[in-house]
Amino acid sequence: MDDRLLEISNLRTYFFTEAGVVKALDGMSLVVNKGQAVGLVGESGSGKSVTAQSVLRIVPRPGRIVDGSVKFEGEELLTKKEDEMRKLRGPKMAIVFQDPTTSLNPLYTVEKQLTDILMLHRDLSKESASKQALHLLDRVGIQDPERRLKTYPHELSGGMKQRIAIARALACDPGLLFADEPTTNLDVTIQAQVLELLKQLQKELKMTMVMITHDMGIIADMTERVTVLYAGKVMEVAETPTLFKSPKHPYTEALLKAVPSVKQTRTLEVIPGNIPNLIEPPTGCVFHPRCKYAKDICVKKEPELEKVAEGHYAACHFWRELELGPGRGT
Amino acid sequence: MHSADRILEVGSLVKYFAVFERGIFRKKTVGQVHAVDNVTFHIFTGETLGLVGESGCGKTTAGKVILMLEPPTSGSIRFEGKDVVDTFDNGNQDEMKQLRRGMQMVFQNPYNSLDPRMTVYDIISEAFVIHKHIPKNQWTDRVYELLRMVNLEEYHAERYPHEFSGGQRQRIAIARALAVDPKFVILDEPVSSLDVSIRAQILNLLIDLQKKERLSYLYISHDLSSVRQISQRVAVMYLGEIVELASANELFDRPLHPYTQALISAVPVPDPEHKTTRIILPGEVPSPINPPKACRFHPRCPYASDICKEVAPTFEDRLVTGHFVACHHADKFV
Amino acid sequence: MALIGPFLVAYPARSYRSLYEGDAGNPPSFKHPFGVEISGIDVFSETVNSARNDLYVGLAATLITTLIGVAVGALAGYFKGVVSDVLLGVTQMFFVIPFLLLILLFARVFSVLVFKGLGLTLIVLIISFFGWSSIAFIVRGETLRLREMEFVQAARSLGAKSYRLLFRHIVPNILSPVIVISTLNIAGFILTEVVVSFLGFGDPNTSTWGLMLNEGFPYVRTTWWVALFPGLAVVFCVLGFNLMGDGLSDALNPRLRE
Repeated sequence: MDDRLLEISNLRTYFFTEAGVVKALDGMSLVVNKGQAVGLVGESGSGKSVTAQSVLRIVPRPGRIVDGSVKFEGEELLTKKEDEMRKLRGPKMAIVFQDPTTSLNPLYTVEKQLTDILMLHRDLSKESASKQALHLLDRVGIQDPERRLKTYPHELSGGMKQRIAIARALACDPGLLFADEPTTNLDVTIQAQVLELLKQLQKELKMTMVMITHDMGIIADMTERVTVLYAGKVMEVAETPTLFKSPKHPYTEALLKAVPSVKQTRTLEVIPGNIPNLIEPPTGCVFHPRCKYAKDICVKKEPELEKVAEGHYAACHFWRELELGPGRGT
Repeated sequence: MHSADRILEVGSLVKYFAVFERGIFRKKTVGQVHAVDNVTFHIFTGETLGLVGESGCGKTTAGKVILMLEPPTSGSIRFEGKDVVDTFDNGNQDEMKQLRRGMQMVFQNPYNSLDPRMTVYDIISEAFVIHKHIPKNQWTDRVYELLRMVNLEEYHAERYPHEFSGGQRQRIAIARALAVDPKFVILDEPVSSLDVSIRAQILNLLIDLQKKERLSYLYISHDLSSVRQISQRVAVMYLGEIVELASANELFDRPLHPYTQALISAVPVPDPEHKTTRIILPGEVPSPINPPKACRFHPRCPYASDICKEVAPTFEDRLVTGHFVACHHADKFV
Repeated sequence: MALIGPFLVAYPARSYRSLYEGDAGNPPSFKHPFGVEISGIDVFSETVNSARNDLYVGLAATLITTLIGVAVGALAGYFKGVVSDVLLGVTQMFFVIPFLLLILLFARVFSVLVFKGLGLTLIVLIISFFGWSSIAFIVRGETLRLREMEFVQAARSLGAKSYRLLFRHIVPNILSPVIVISTLNIAGFILTEVVVSFLGFGDPNTSTWGLMLNEGFPYVRTTWWVALFPGLAVVFCVLGFNLMGDGLSDALNPRLRE
């Protein structure tokens, strides 16, 4: 119990738009222990980014957290006032966003972006903040940090910008880091650099990291435990190796079989249909329209997240009966 | 599987973009972007050639130039034996139209590649309007047929692009490309903006259509996994040059160029037991305005030696027949 | 209202009949809802009659400036090279010319024509001649953006020629901002007319709101209704077109379409 850094229960975050109420997260639960690297995998509309936003309480309008509980270090976050949350954002928890071009302020130098946070939360003088900023740049592997401090974001490449975004997130040594698709916009070789960096930092700083991505390869490489999200609901939770070897949810199996691998050529299995409309999601099990094992009950009744084994949960009526294959080619 | 016919032959293709500085009355050319620099390859009828590389390597530009959407700076393009550059230079309308029918393209961004003000019917039938290769009374039937080919319904023809999802829009784009009965289609990152579960749908559709309609593809992408999936042969581009070209299995299982090796090792593999021995390349991809001398990869190459800085390596299949590579040290990796 | 108005009002335009009827200078009453000018002109009928003329200026000028602006802007944006640069330069030149001053100048110079009743048309022509540049800029910007969009590239790869690309693909997609700007222009050009006539450069024989303001202004302390009602008419007219522009902007936004 003491080990739980973050505990999300039954979180519901809805977006109240003109077209209707978009149920971005509809009863999502997640437990992250201290020092773990956890994955949150899903496609667009799964609610993975909204999860991070909800924890930090920065859900953009017209979104609103309508139900559930988010406990951080034992304290309930959803009842906190805004100034209390502000004290947490930075020193306790931080996010690295997907696109560093928009997440860094184009008007300020690198130095200013980092020292701003340091001076705000740590009450440092400008000189000590600058020194600390230099140290941060060094830690994220930026060459020639003195010179880089004075540059503007647009003068830097994508990979470097993302490193600075990481530096900024880590400036106040947060215990919890959300990485929201941090490498999706980057070139493959740069992605490798940034992923290695994150891996390294996580080990060094013993940081708890939630890696949000749609890429099963990144999940396999960077995480110990993984939660599979689909249309705002949790489909499966397991240790990473278990998820890949013996998935218990049809969506997980389908995802694994639909992903091409650079290691081998094989026939991809197609998941028919499209991502559902979150304003009027399917009844019963939200995956049923696309599930090849769906039966009547799947249309009528929403499955609960049931325990499959120690640490392994699946939300499917038939997880016991189904013999789901592993993802790696057959 | 391959016939001896080469449907596309690209020879020493060069495309430079001028970099301007604007004065009050004149523009001064201060440099050249070496987008495509002396690229040579061919595609057999009925095969898929994958073209991989990261941003700035020139693969998208190469695609556009082959289709003459941008004029090449120099080099030759032959489609079914006909000289493409010549035809466009001559301005012979009929021959240009013929070529346009033979070669088509499916673009990367499904949200921008369909005219938002036209119905799906209009979008697909535009090909008929321009080329008039089908009598007007058969247009509707043919549009419906094309929609069915890409697994869409007839009633979709009345709708507008914004009513469709990304995957569906790509299908419409594919249907549009097929409307002219092409023989060769350039696919520029067709699945990169799509969700994972949709990618497989589109990739399988493309493979299916290739068999049914006997098409040849140039599949351009930075996503090595999907390239391996769909291509018979693969070419790797770096800073405007092709550095390696081989059959898909050969390239992925035994890459001979250090860049290819790094590229492949960098891709996260969806298998937790796979130990990633990532080759991390130092630094960033250099700018194509001033590419490094001799071997363009030498500043980042873990095996670079003196010769790599002085002499540009030749692109040859000396070590393994059919496996072309431009590297002085390739013999190390055989 | 403006179109059928003249048929409804009791008095024809610029009619001094009320003078003869002894009603000159009367404040608003049942017979003369907006009052009567000192010269005997019934303010209500005059306001309504003016509406038609002012709208003529607004709509005609807008129509012509939009046509010119779209044509120049689209060509400037679509083609590269000398043609584009020249068109851009010309647009910029016209943009900076203060056309109000020119209108006043021309009105004086061609005062004969003005007095013959062609004053309004003169204003329309001058506005049209100089006022298209703002539309041209916007159209050029949009065309530049759309030209590189993949659906235009796709049409090119299908074999479409330039004119098809321009008229079938680019222009329909720039129409929404253009319609909005044009609607706002209607209001703007009407105001231009009001200013011109108010300053006395218009035709004293053609009813316009500006003219009424010109006439009513010196007497605003006494027969205040003479200036008030045309003034209100201008305000409501401009407001109306602005709101219409706003509404159109929302309605034409494809994202909000269902």
